[in-house]
Amino acid sequence: MAIECLVLGAGQEVGKSCVVVTIGGKRVMFDCGMHMGYHDHRHYPDFARALTAWGAPDFTTAISCVVITHFHLDHIGALPYFTEVCGYHGPIYMTYPTKALAPFMLEDYRKVTMDQRGEEEQYSYEDILRCMKKVIPMDLKQTVQVDKDLVIRAYYAGHVIGAAMIYAKVGDAAMVYTGDYNMTPDRHLGAAQIDLLKLDLLITESTYAKTIRDSKHAREREFLKAVHKCVSGGGKVLIPTFALGRAQELCMLLDDYWERMDLKVPIYFSAGLTIQANVYYKMLIGWTSQKIKDSHAVHNPFDFKHVWHFERSFINNPGPCVLFATPGMISGGFSLEAFKKWAPSEKNLITLPGYCVSGTIGHKLMCGKPTRIDYKDTHIDVRCQIHQLAFSPHTDSKGIMDLTEFLSPKHVILVHGEKPQMAFLKERIESELGMPCYFPGNNESVSIPTTQNLKMSATERFITSCAVEQGKRSLHKRNLICRTGLSEVIGSDEEAVEGVLLMEKHKSPKILCEDELLEVLGMERHLVQFEPMVSRIVAAVESELQRAKAADLDSDGK
Amino acid sequence: MGDPHLLSSAHPTAAAAAAASSSAREHPGPIDEDLAAPDPSPSVAKRPRVAAEPPASGGCVPYVEADVRALVSMAGGIYPLARAEALRGLTAVLEKVDPSSRASVVITECSYQCAVVLMRDDDNGVRLAVVRLVDACARNFSARLDFDADGYGDLMDMIFLQLSSMARDMCTQVRMEAFAALGKMQRVSEGVLLQSLYKKVIKTDSMDVSIINGQKLPPKLKIPCAAGIFSHGIEDEFYQVRRTACKSLGALAKFSTQYTEKALDLLMDMMNDDSEAVRLQTLEALFHMATYGCLSVQEKHMHMFLGLLVDANALIRDAALKILGLVNMPKLQIFKSAVDGLITSLEKYPEEQDIYGILFSIGKNHGSFSANIAKHLAKEITMASDGELILDKPRVKALLIVSISAPFSDDKHKKLNIPSIIFSHAIPLLEKVSCALGGEVSQDSLLSYLCHKGGMPFWENRSVSAEFGESESCNVEKVEIGAHVENTAKETKCLDEVLVMQSMKSILEIVEGSWTMRMPCNVCEVRSILRTCKEELRLLAENSSGSIGAFLSFLSEYLDAILFIVEIWQLIQLDNPYTFGLTSLDILLEKLDMSVRRMEYCYVGLNRVLEVQVLELSLIAHLFRLSKIAVCSKVVLGKLLWVINRLEDLCADGSCELSDFSREIKKACDTSPTGDNLIGSINNLFQLFRLKPTTDFGMLKVINAGLRVCDNNSENPLQYICGLPVGVSFKISLWNVSSHHRLWLRMTIGESMQHTFLEFSGFGGNDEVKSGSMVAPLYATPKACSFVLRGSAPTREDMEDRVIVWFNSLMN
Ligand SMILES: [Zn+2]
Repeated sequence: MAIECLVLGAGQEVGKSCVVVTIGGKRVMFDCGMHMGYHDHRHYPDFARALTAWGAPDFTTAISCVVITHFHLDHIGALPYFTEVCGYHGPIYMTYPTKALAPFMLEDYRKVTMDQRGEEEQYSYEDILRCMKKVIPMDLKQTVQVDKDLVIRAYYAGHVIGAAMIYAKVGDAAMVYTGDYNMTPDRHLGAAQIDLLKLDLLITESTYAKTIRDSKHAREREFLKAVHKCVSGGGKVLIPTFALGRAQELCMLLDDYWERMDLKVPIYFSAGLTIQANVYYKMLIGWTSQKIKDSHAVHNPFDFKHVWHFERSFINNPGPCVLFATPGMISGGFSLEAFKKWAPSEKNLITLPGYCVSGTIGHKLMCGKPTRIDYKDTHIDVRCQIHQLAFSPHTDSKGIMDLTEFLSPKHVILVHGEKPQMAFLKERIESELGMPCYFPGNNESVSIPTTQNLKMSATERFITSCAVEQGKRSLHKRNLICRTGLSEVIGSDEEAVEGVLLMEKHKSPKILCEDELLEVLGMERHLVQFEPMVSRIVAAVESELQRAKAADLDSDGK
Repeated sequence: MGDPHLLSSAHPTAAAAAAASSSAREHPGPIDEDLAAPDPSPSVAKRPRVAAEPPASGGCVPYVEADVRALVSMAGGIYPLARAEALRGLTAVLEKVDPSSRASVVITECSYQCAVVLMRDDDNGVRLAVVRLVDACARNFSARLDFDADGYGDLMDMIFLQLSSMARDMCTQVRMEAFAALGKMQRVSEGVLLQSLYKKVIKTDSMDVSIINGQKLPPKLKIPCAAGIFSHGIEDEFYQVRRTACKSLGALAKFSTQYTEKALDLLMDMMNDDSEAVRLQTLEALFHMATYGCLSVQEKHMHMFLGLLVDANALIRDAALKILGLVNMPKLQIFKSAVDGLITSLEKYPEEQDIYGILFSIGKNHGSFSANIAKHLAKEITMASDGELILDKPRVKALLIVSISAPFSDDKHKKLNIPSIIFSHAIPLLEKVSCALGGEVSQDSLLSYLCHKGGMPFWENRSVSAEFGESESCNVEKVEIGAHVENTAKETKCLDEVLVMQSMKSILEIVEGSWTMRMPCNVCEVRSILRTCKEELRLLAENSSGSIGAFLSFLSEYLDAILFIVEIWQLIQLDNPYTFGLTSLDILLEKLDMSVRRMEYCYVGLNRVLEVQVLELSLIAHLFRLSKIAVCSKVVLGKLLWVINRLEDLCADGSCELSDFSREIKKACDTSPTGDNLIGSINNLFQLFRLKPTTDFGMLKVINAGLRVCDNNSENPLQYICGLPVGVSFKISLWNVSSHHRLWLRMTIGESMQHTFLEFSGFGGNDEVKSGSMVAPLYATPKACSFVLRGSAPTREDMEDRVIVWFNSLMN
């Protein structure tokens, strides 16, 4: 038996995560994402090609279930297309928070692309809603019996709220698909957490396959220092951020610091942020970090003490302040408005998220600091300071190694990373952990063998003989301990017990003692004896040689 | 499971059983048993149970070993709870056994092997027990280090690495326990230690092959499993784990300075942690490191450190202070910012006097830097105009403390060149300095040192041992100031007279200076300066006794009077005093009179100069009265003339001179006996008034009285019959009262008052203190059920010579 792993997306690249694994005859699709960088056929995974390869009439018969790990578009973006356009009608699983937040992410993106690029509509808002209706939500560590053989279970992955790692098992074959995960906790999310499982295969993301990140505390310190310096100099701090996740993280950090340092400078949240944060995080408190879970009964940590609601008119107010505004890459909206106003003063500070799509102002600021930015028909003088946030919700290379070592699977497959780095990590996993590792490209597939456990019984005689054997050995060992040092004791335990494994048709296998075998088979004992023939052969050969020698002498003499 | 004997009797068969094959658990059973069929039989089949065995031949095997054997075999069982329990039993045995014994070696090795096998057990409880067991083994092994020359160095490193790998466990409890165990390690190679800080794997060949405790780093060890274990620990989601990691991080600092440097970076970052418990633990770890003297602060840490000094939490501030007092600051810039931070903290939290001690110790630890501070401060002091640099300012005080600490530093370069002005200005801070020195040096010798270095006139003719660093015990004989120094031995907290004199002098200079320079034009400023001075005098007076004490109380009275004069002057300056409210002026005039009178009558031994001072004050008081009435009152004028005559008498022998002020008044009185001139020229006259406070107080004594009524309180009142006289028995003490004084006892009931002549000729004691008792009859007892009487000897109203007597009517 084998596990067949077909990578439809995120093979040697980041984007459109989609892996179909055939395990114990069941086909499971993990994630169904879109690629944000492409706007042609590479936008979605190549579903049609896969269908032809499987030779199935439609997707619903081909695939047992779809499991989505989290709400990021590169993991869920193609789902409405897959269900509503490609016509998959089987079960779809995701966690509760993902189910709650996914429609917003999908709709948001659909609108933005429609407005900005005027792309032809791949799916409509109604498609999204119809698609989400088919989703079966699941909870952490809840074992879901998909069908008679296939079970799946979600584990906490960190990364974003609701992110999960998925464990799947059919018969004896078991695997984990990690999705995106984070091994380091932050202020609002915990670290990935999984049980010690027995796995044939681990499919892990490898965004930072080569990077080892330094402590998050150093990043926090730099950020706080920059912000504190700016506001104490009377400057304004603009923190463009996505609505969910990073905004809450940074805000908790600042709120705590403000409290400790007794700072009076106001922190503002632009309108959209407050509403979403409060509604979702209060609802999803069980999915946040331990600290929040511990404390929310007495004080909801998302009711920030020093944070105020921002009025549009405040933008011209004098004096220092800190403002959180969407969107994160300063691609428009309120963060752009604030940026236009504040960028020209060298007293002010703009923080940038770790990743910005090219073409946005955030991206321009990231690649070297420009003094002037032309945006549409206006241009903005940039004299403010710029602080690059190094916060990332992905695990680093060390985290991948740690998780792999902890789970100790028989095989590892890397996805969601860049090819050269993946090659580096593969090398490390194979040499340091001794596990075969693969990183297939898109539309490539890897087949790995699985172990098959065989249940067998043993006869009473066999067990007794084992025990006696063991007892003798340990008696011997005790004497060793009394007499001498320890070196003999250590590592002298590897002794096998002999027995016969009997496998018959329509019967379960059995282990028995050698002398039990005849009884069971109902046969007589035949003795075969071998005679040692060696000496005679040697004598024959010797006489032959002598004869030959004599003959030679005779002929010479002649 | 704690007692091995109990244990062996409880499990005779198990105890007799031989050591089970611990490697039998090489392949743990199906992990997700809840997923698989819940039938445990296959596992049983795979892992043969150990059968009972006949008891050991011969009784030579100690019980303990049998127990260990049994436990080890149980640890190989299939049930997780039993495995964990067996491991806990082993741990208990290890804790009991004497590590120096031969048996200990065997048992520890056995247990350790058993633990290693179970390190990757799938049950959290078992892994937790494994960590504890490994910890116990490590302890026993390291105890062996002291006996065995062949050493366990490699093994200790191995254990460190194994514990490190357990510190990345998915189970919180296991992580916590692993970090705690790491912190308890008694020996580990530097290379392994350093690796535990970095997530990146340090290449062995590039690593400094330093030797710790004679152990080289064995190349075969797999260091990566320790990689950055502490970086992970302090980022943990659970504060309990972070706290333990911090603690261990600090505990390991004793092994390597290189490690300590790097560990500091990690710990500094922890100061932004959201849990207060973690922040406090971090500070404790830092303190621990600092006490090993290996804490060197970098510039990048300063922002964090200074933040800690003004943290809203007092515990955090306190801990940060303690650490700062011990750390080593390699650069002047860092030193200055630390001092600035401390000053900010002092300004924000003035109640925290510990800060001075810390300032002193960081100054002492960085002699040349504090010398630099001293140089700048001296410049600032000399440039400051008179009366401006008030020692009260926390900044100046702080800088003085830092500056004065320089000569006490251990720096080898002795030539620190502290300007003498620093020493003289530091004298008032004597107590703080002596406190900071931890009482090693007596205040006397410290003072003599400061005076000497400060070029104080007192010390010109005396030889003081030059450097403090050389002889801490330099004991300069006590100096007597003036003619009389009271023995203050019974008051241990009493400040030294010399010090008091110094402070007093500087205060008086400020008073005098502020008057001459600012009085007419800047009244408000003068008033605030006077108030501060008075406050300082009051503090000094509280800690003094004898003549100085008397003089200090005289001086505060004097300053009171001056303050009244200033206030009255302010009122008079306003064009129309009537609209302002006459009463306030009246009250002030009355208060001034009282004050002058107290100076006149409540002190004995006023010398001529002091008397002149008092008389001048009374002159000015009369002058104010005249101006207030605006018409010459014969009575006031008469009093005025009397004062002038008295002044002339005092100055007649030429021992002191009549001041311009008095002379002008005399002239004005002479020219017009009705005093019209006086009222007209009151402004000019006032301008002539000068403050010339003297510091020569001679044998000044303060007259005081103390009253007591025995066995009387609200619970236990005196009995009386309404309307009939009642005798009240007072116990009276009188200080500095001579036979020519006349004293009355005043008894007050509500509004009514009764004076009784105080006959003290029969009192015992000397001139200084007399005491005795007298029965004073109270004639007009009120017709009430009970009343309260207040008795007082009218020497000084504000002194504690009052007593309250409680009465209760017998007629009830
Ligand atoms: Zn993601």
